[in-house]
Amino acid sequence: MASSFPTARLTLAQMRRSVGRLTAAGVAILISTAFVTVTLLAGSVIQGTTHDMIAAQYAQADAVVSIPGDDGESTFADADIEAVAAVDGVEAVQPLTAWYGDLRNGGKGGYQLFTPVPEDPRLSPLELTDGTWPAADEVALTPELAERLEVGLGDEVSVKRTIYPEGWTTSQAEDREAELGEPEEITESLTVTGLADDPYGAYTTFGGAAAVPAAALQTWSAAEDSQEQVTELLVALDEPLSGTTVPAALDQAVQAATSGVEGVSVQTTEAVAAAKAAEKTGGQDLVFLVFVMTFAAIALLIAAMVITNTFQVIIAQRTRALALLRCIGAGTGQLYRSVLLEAAILGAVASAVGILTGALLAQAALLVAPSFDLGVPIPATIALTWQSIVLPLVVGTVVTVLAALAPARSATRVAPLAALRPSDAPTLRARSGRTRLVVSLLALVGGFALLGLGVFLGMNDTPQFGLLAAVGGGAVAFFGVVLSAVLWLPRVAAGLGALVGRTGPASRLAVANTLRNPRRTAATSTALLIGVTLVTMMSTGAASARMSADNLLDETYPYDVSVSSSSPEYVEDLRDALAGTDGVGATVLVTNGSVTLDGAKDTSVVGTDPQDLAAVVNVPEEAKRLTEGSILLTQETADTMSVGAGDEVALSGGNGSVDLDVVITGAGPLNRVVTTTDLDRVTDEETWTDIWAKISGADVTAVLGDVQDAVAQVDGEAFVMGPAAEAAQFGQVVDVILGIVVGLLAVAVVIALIGVTNTLSLSVIERTRESATLRAIGLSKKQLRGMLAVEGVLIAGVGAILGIVLGLIFGWAGAATALSLMGDVRYAVPWTDIAVVVVIALVAGLLASVLPARAAARTSPVAALGVE
Amino acid sequence: MPVTAGVRNSPYDLGMTAAVQDQPGAGRGAAPVVRNVCGMDTTVYAPGSSSPAVRARSLTKTYGKGEATVRALDGVDVDFEQGRFTAIMGPSGSGKSTLMHLLAGLDSATSGQAFLGSTEITGLNDKALTRLRRDRVGFVFQQFNLLPMFTAEQNITLPVELAGGTADKAWFDTLVDTLGLAGRLTHRPGELSGGQQQRVAIARALIAQPDVVFADEPTGNLDSRSGAEVLSFLRRSVRELGRTIIMVTHDPSAAAYADRAVLIADGRIAGDISDPTPESAMAGLDALRTLEPSVATAPGTGV
Repeated sequence: MASSFPTARLTLAQMRRSVGRLTAAGVAILISTAFVTVTLLAGSVIQGTTHDMIAAQYAQADAVVSIPGDDGESTFADADIEAVAAVDGVEAVQPLTAWYGDLRNGGKGGYQLFTPVPEDPRLSPLELTDGTWPAADEVALTPELAERLEVGLGDEVSVKRTIYPEGWTTSQAEDREAELGEPEEITESLTVTGLADDPYGAYTTFGGAAAVPAAALQTWSAAEDSQEQVTELLVALDEPLSGTTVPAALDQAVQAATSGVEGVSVQTTEAVAAAKAAEKTGGQDLVFLVFVMTFAAIALLIAAMVITNTFQVIIAQRTRALALLRCIGAGTGQLYRSVLLEAAILGAVASAVGILTGALLAQAALLVAPSFDLGVPIPATIALTWQSIVLPLVVGTVVTVLAALAPARSATRVAPLAALRPSDAPTLRARSGRTRLVVSLLALVGGFALLGLGVFLGMNDTPQFGLLAAVGGGAVAFFGVVLSAVLWLPRVAAGLGALVGRTGPASRLAVANTLRNPRRTAATSTALLIGVTLVTMMSTGAASARMSADNLLDETYPYDVSVSSSSPEYVEDLRDALAGTDGVGATVLVTNGSVTLDGAKDTSVVGTDPQDLAAVVNVPEEAKRLTEGSILLTQETADTMSVGAGDEVALSGGNGSVDLDVVITGAGPLNRVVTTTDLDRVTDEETWTDIWAKISGADVTAVLGDVQDAVAQVDGEAFVMGPAAEAAQFGQVVDVILGIVVGLLAVAVVIALIGVTNTLSLSVIERTRESATLRAIGLSKKQLRGMLAVEGVLIAGVGAILGIVLGLIFGWAGAATALSLMGDVRYAVPWTDIAVVVVIALVAGLLASVLPARAAARTSPVAALGVE
Repeated sequence: MPVTAGVRNSPYDLGMTAAVQDQPGAGRGAAPVVRNVCGMDTTVYAPGSSSPAVRARSLTKTYGKGEATVRALDGVDVDFEQGRFTAIMGPSGSGKSTLMHLLAGLDSATSGQAFLGSTEITGLNDKALTRLRRDRVGFVFQQFNLLPMFTAEQNITLPVELAGGTADKAWFDTLVDTLGLAGRLTHRPGELSGGQQQRVAIARALIAQPDVVFADEPTGNLDSRSGAEVLSFLRRSVRELGRTIIMVTHDPSAAAYADRAVLIADGRIAGDISDPTPESAMAGLDALRTLEPSVATAPGTGV
């Protein structure tokens, strides 16, 4: 097209004149694309790591012989394995098997993955680093596992397993125990003879591995109540494979050898690993990508708002030049294309820089990562794929161009006549807001209604639908809020401004300035509002979740930690050990007994000492109401027994019977509690005693660890349960997730703040003559700077305050919907977080005004006199 | 505020004696004329004392360095009397705007001195200059320069508010009355005509009762009818309200509204016309134009 060349030249010339403004807008795009790039690179790092970990279990095998195994039955039999081993060219075959057993050193340990000692070192990811491979009754451990068990070479560990009678798995008998005899539980002792490293992290997700001779593993596996499927055989060949495909001859030979099973495929190790990794990354990693990309999308949206704003102002400032161009014959199409071309150039350049920034950040993260012990092998360098470059570039450029569409349209509306008019402050006519009003009202009403419905559903035990409705409704309502912001946000700003305006003439000027361009103020504030709303929503939701969970745990477990013993004779020792642990406060023995209560057989009651109980539980007043000759019952239980407070109920067992007065308690966990004395009178059989304790130390998790260690020193087995630690751990998990989410949203907030700076800078440029006039008629430099500071704070403050209000509403709605299943929902207000958000917004608003104010203060009053 | 300062004199006292003119022909047709414009009270408040409102001594402003040095203002000595309406006239590039900037403390001089009353303003820092502008100087701009987001009333009272005070109600009413703005106070600049905007700007310049008001081509953006109106109002502010106004213009018919026209060319004072008429002012300007080359080659000979 003939006109394309002058358009391009014109565009470049105009861009040169607006470099500063374009740069500020470009930074918003830069941050967003850097975000997208980092996300994509992180995704590929995760993919790569997943692939490496999957590939690691195949070790250096040349090929993998596999069957689908989806039916849960088909398996390679021993005969098949031997047949494959006999194939010409095959040197060694190892079935990919694993067995899980209870591996312990005293109290330490737990369920652990066992793997066979490899027949050929190529067929196991484990590499012996110390000692020897184990023989019978021996075991080799990965270093992390040995460390956890606190054992070294020569130490003993025990493995506990259940031996099911032969034929158990195939028996069709109704009662297999009667026909074949009871399963037998045995504990065997194994000597640690070797330490085997797992350099590729094949067993990282299993907490390491224990290697025992293949024969032992086979025996153990055979004694299980279900037979493990063998679906993969690792094959080592005499000659390593040269290509990426398995030779047809080998394939046919293996197929022939395994003709007994269906669907056998022979693939190279790499092919299998790649396929499996793809399968896996299609799942949770995709979720991760979608999760993070959502935040990237939010960042891009906010960047788009900043860009639109910037271009609106740039166009407004060029009104005269544009009109001049129209006068000398430029078509509206040319001007339109010129603006879009400008946006495309800006978008492409900013995106390119953003991609580079993102790549550098990701690389820096990889360099730092190894210093944190993540337990996962992480690549040393980022792998730049074409997607990770092209995608952010395209997205960044397209978003910028889309954001410039509206400003480009307003460029075409500049009349040629404007060139002839005296140049006044550039103004952009706002379009009729009727469509906007209708659409946003519909979105607001519909969205909040749907949100309400979601909350209603959530509170009525269908949180899955409720959550769907609430998320959808919330999104629609938020869309309505953002869309309608231009209609009402300036009024809120005016209200706040009226308060601010009382502080002096500079503030009054600032307020008037904030309101003179409602559209721009609204757009700038809205950008910040989005970020703040989301941050507040997440932290409100998290705080509510934590509080509700604490509440639930408090109600369910009135104690901080409980220890159950396998045998009664160790209870006192355990109690001593518990009481002797640092950070543990009072302890109480609670004896569960099975009795007949008010005619109901096999009812569980708890006998305890009221004084001790009151010292431990978090409802001491309720505990103190227990006296000898009484029983604590909840209203609900009393109702089902048709008794009321003061009535007598009979408690009877093997030793006799007592009549107890009913005391109604409000504390659920203290239901059916009697004194130990009363319980002893009734029964001493079928009782077991737990110890409840209060934790007085600050670090609950650490104290719980100490308790576990102390208990492990006592003979007999003990089971430790720590709801307090659970609460603390839950809190930590929530905090970590919240931290990540808020971190991601922080990017959006930063972009929004750049928008505030941008808006102020543009205002300053636009208002040069005005600033000069004010200076000429007596506004001091300090007052001028103060004026812009108030403007910045007002714009940021309005966005922050409205964002906090919206965030609280959405956060509470979300909590009400999602957490109702857990019981009573507590609506927390994360005051600290809110305070931080407000402070950040206000300080940022102030900071945002610094540079523009400096530029404005430099304006000489003489500029007021100049013509242009 | 009733004007008490000044001694009532006959208008004939003014200008009769000071018919300038070293330039032959410059004074042609410059016979003092008693005008009675718009039928207004033409009683003149003459300066009560001889101390000038604004003075310049050897005021010099140069731009650039070395070969490229431009002497925008070249050792100007001039006095502006209190209670009078003086026009600074000259062709474009003559230095008239520069002179005004320096006298008003908007720009700093390269050398020489400028006084506002007894205050030497050359050498004041930005803070002091800001205070000076706020309390003792008023401005009327060619582009009006009203703040678009404020009403006429808010625009008028702005300088007083910036100083942290409140406008004197009586003085405000006097100004609004004199300038014919009574029905326009709640309008924003966008809703006012050019002439009305400039009248609001004049009221803004006068609200703080400054020692002097500088007007920079106040009619440059107005049609001739509105321009004449604005100039009449400026003159009324001097004659009826006792203000001091210094107006920069290149338009002889605008200068004719002033009590005195100071001619400036090539950074020097090139003439002084008392009670200028459009004809005498035009003649003065014409003389400057014809003289320009000689002035440029032989500075000092022209005045």
